[in-house]
Amino acid sequence: MNDKDLLRYGRHIMLPEIDFEGQEKLLAARVLIIGVGGLGSPVALYLAASGIGQIIIADHDKVELNNLQRQIAHDENGLGQSKVSSCANRMKQINSKINIVPLDVKLSGEQLLSQVAEVDIVVDCTDNLTTRFEINQACVTHNKWLVSAAAIRWEGQISVYHCGDKDSPCYHCCYGLGAGGSKEPEQNCSTSGVVSPVVGVMGSLQAIEVIKLILSQGDSLISRVLLFDALSMQWESMQLPKNPDCPVCGHIND
Amino acid sequence: MNITLKCFAGLKRHLPPHAKANQAVVEVDDNISVYQAIDYFNIDREEAYLVILNGVFVCPPDRDSRILKENDTLALWPEVAGG
Repeated sequence: MNDKDLLRYGRHIMLPEIDFEGQEKLLAARVLIIGVGGLGSPVALYLAASGIGQIIIADHDKVELNNLQRQIAHDENGLGQSKVSSCANRMKQINSKINIVPLDVKLSGEQLLSQVAEVDIVVDCTDNLTTRFEINQACVTHNKWLVSAAAIRWEGQISVYHCGDKDSPCYHCCYGLGAGGSKEPEQNCSTSGVVSPVVGVMGSLQAIEVIKLILSQGDSLISRVLLFDALSMQWESMQLPKNPDCPVCGHIND
Repeated sequence: MNITLKCFAGLKRHLPPHAKANQAVVEVDDNISVYQAIDYFNIDREEAYLVILNGVFVCPPDRDSRILKENDTLALWPEVAGG
């Protein structure tokens, strides 16, 4: 770090949990953010500002007017652009020193697996269960940290998954079977609505968890889900046991 | 026996009139399962996507066999997947 870096990251460095060494870890970290909409916007902006050295952002959508109510990485000048291009531009305006890799694709299959393999942490900011299951499978396959959040209406939830840890569940342990065992609900912000700052709260919490994991500081949300009801301003914490019969992670630690 | 029922988000409409904030102490039959309790309150099993008994997630295959006890706390959340 040079003098400008010391100035830029000074408010991090003065924290004993970060210090010079921690900031160097952040600068050396590689993070994949999948989805740069409502959740991904604050994640991408805070991680860029925090000096995460390499940030890969993946999204196949274009910026539309109805996104601007909550997707704060984008603005009116970006309407019609790819979301990754719009988001990368904003990230570079905040921090031109980090490496940003925009992927204007719907990450899936082999491409998803290869991108997951290249990073330290994956941040799931997508808007549907099908994609979330595939991201979870890829993270289990490559034994990567997964910081997952969701938001809809006035509600949000967040957790961290890492199947390399004994007794640690995966996303499928919680959501895999669905209520009633068959039907998969498919609601998202586009169909059900969401109050703008709820995605900001949940995305900001995802960024905090990413930073803590890189630093190996504090207690992560492993095996625990935080649920947020903004309308009643209540938080609920839920322990999430590993499902030994989980088809995705049940075989691990046998 | 009495249990505490907590409902969040859109499920709050299922709480009885005496509920305070998002929870209420309610009387249910002894030895009922998690699913029987959800049915008793006329809540759609699929709408009560996340079922939390005393702070621990109950996965769907266990919701028929897990029996409630006096003073248990049952919390229900709808599904959240948007982003």
